[in-house]
Amino acid sequence: MLLDVSRPGPGRLGSLLGSAHRIGALARHNMTLRLRDPGQMISYVAMPMVLMLVLKPLYVRALDGGATQVATGLMVMFSVFAISLAGNAILSERTWRTWDRLRVTRAPAAELLVGKTLPLFVVMVAQQAILLVYGCLAIGLPVPSMPHLVFLAILIWAFALLAIGAALATLVRSHGELSVISDVGALTLSSLGGALVPLSLMPEWAQLAAHASPGYWALVMMQSAVAGDVAGTLRPAGVVLAIGLLSGVFAARRLARGWGRGGLL
Amino acid sequence: MLVATGLVKRYGEIQALDGFTLSVAAGEIVGLLGHNGAGKTTFVEIVSHLIRQDGGTVTIDGKPPSAVRGQVGVAPQHLALYPSATVREHLELYGRLSGLRRAALSSAIDDLAVMLRLTDLMDRRAGKLSGGQQRRTQAATALVHRPALLLLDEPTAGADLETRQAMLDVVKQRAGEGAAVVYTTHYLPELTELQATIAVARDGRVIARGTYEELARDLPGEVRVTLEDEEEIRISTSDPAATLIDLLHRTDRPISSVDVRNASLDDLYRSLAVHDAP
Repeated sequence: MLLDVSRPGPGRLGSLLGSAHRIGALARHNMTLRLRDPGQMISYVAMPMVLMLVLKPLYVRALDGGATQVATGLMVMFSVFAISLAGNAILSERTWRTWDRLRVTRAPAAELLVGKTLPLFVVMVAQQAILLVYGCLAIGLPVPSMPHLVFLAILIWAFALLAIGAALATLVRSHGELSVISDVGALTLSSLGGALVPLSLMPEWAQLAAHASPGYWALVMMQSAVAGDVAGTLRPAGVVLAIGLLSGVFAARRLARGWGRGGLL
Repeated sequence: MLVATGLVKRYGEIQALDGFTLSVAAGEIVGLLGHNGAGKTTFVEIVSHLIRQDGGTVTIDGKPPSAVRGQVGVAPQHLALYPSATVREHLELYGRLSGLRRAALSSAIDDLAVMLRLTDLMDRRAGKLSGGQQRRTQAATALVHRPALLLLDEPTAGADLETRQAMLDVVKQRAGEGAAVVYTTHYLPELTELQATIAVARDGRVIARGTYEELARDLPGEVRVTLEDEEEIRISTSDPAATLIDLLHRTDRPISSVDVRNASLDDLYRSLAVHDAP
């Protein structure tokens, strides 16, 4: 029996269930694809672990709170690198021409975007959580007194990174271009934000410029959350969230138009 | 089922559609012919709601394409597959996105696998398939939810014989069940096998629409007579049989062979899409 295009749409509940079903299908599919290509994910977890161990003695001798600096700083730096995970995943949909194929299905652009990014969000949250737990166990990062505050900070930062990565993917023309921008951008933004050297040790101009870096706000948010400072966490969290929302809206609008002749090209 | 009237679409300086009008009834296969740039793919993209037209209207069962999203089966001209996903995973994804679940999904996938000769390939990744197998997989993603309108944009481009035959079989079967089909192709014999209504597009509009017999009625055939001294006589004529009889009466030289050819689909296509002004 053929599908009846004239049949009335489902009710509100049916519509919500249908939406959840489609997002679930997309998320499962994208998680499968991600797990089949785990190299980048593994490197962004293993490399900071090694670097934390190697750099820990230096930081602990040079700074008060050196363990916190090295653990949270490298966590933020390598989580910024993970922008390329999001960017590559979305850009691949363009090179494979699958995004426009998906746009022809019943799933609206918002569902496609959520289904595409949900697995990436889980991966990014897992990366940050693993690095923080590792920091506590192996580097001497103080165990957070308010773990839920740290978890909230991780969620907000992962969301912002995902949105920035998605926005970037709609602007670049190739994987090579994305790779250059995300790698150089990650190093610049995170080091300018104080991920490698504490802000207090940086030149005055750099301390001023740091405020323009999402990495700075993320680092302040993470360090405040680890210290259990609710007020100190919420202000940078607001900035990070705003950056994420702006990037997310930009990416969603671009992706809704697709990459076809009438779209982005 | 599908009614497009006066569609206009411009990409910068390029006028892709310029009053494109075409209708397709339920159960009808319309073979859309035309050179590259004639507007075929732009038409398919507008009906798929991938792009919006600048002018004109298109309705599917009386509704705009935006209102029947996902209820149309689309196989785009270019392959759009995930290299690391298997054939089964592709069908499960597009089936689920169309609302199929569990037993219905499983049954739809099994049926299509048999029809498109994909049964032994279901657990193979798309990136490891041959071009023809990828074409069949892509077509399967368009067919899995049994849509009432099928838009197949050059589904057999570069495909092998097995793929072509499987595709034609399944298109005929779906049309037999009542699906309206738009089938763009450069392989004209496929349209004869599909017994399709033919629509010829040129310069962004449909310049002719009808059955092969209707469109070829006034086209000249050809009579070719080869004499024993290897001289060849060729006559273009609207009545090849009568012309041959007349020729045989008038010639007294020995004849080695006679060839009578009625107008073919190729002749029709050339006469409409290439030579004549609309």
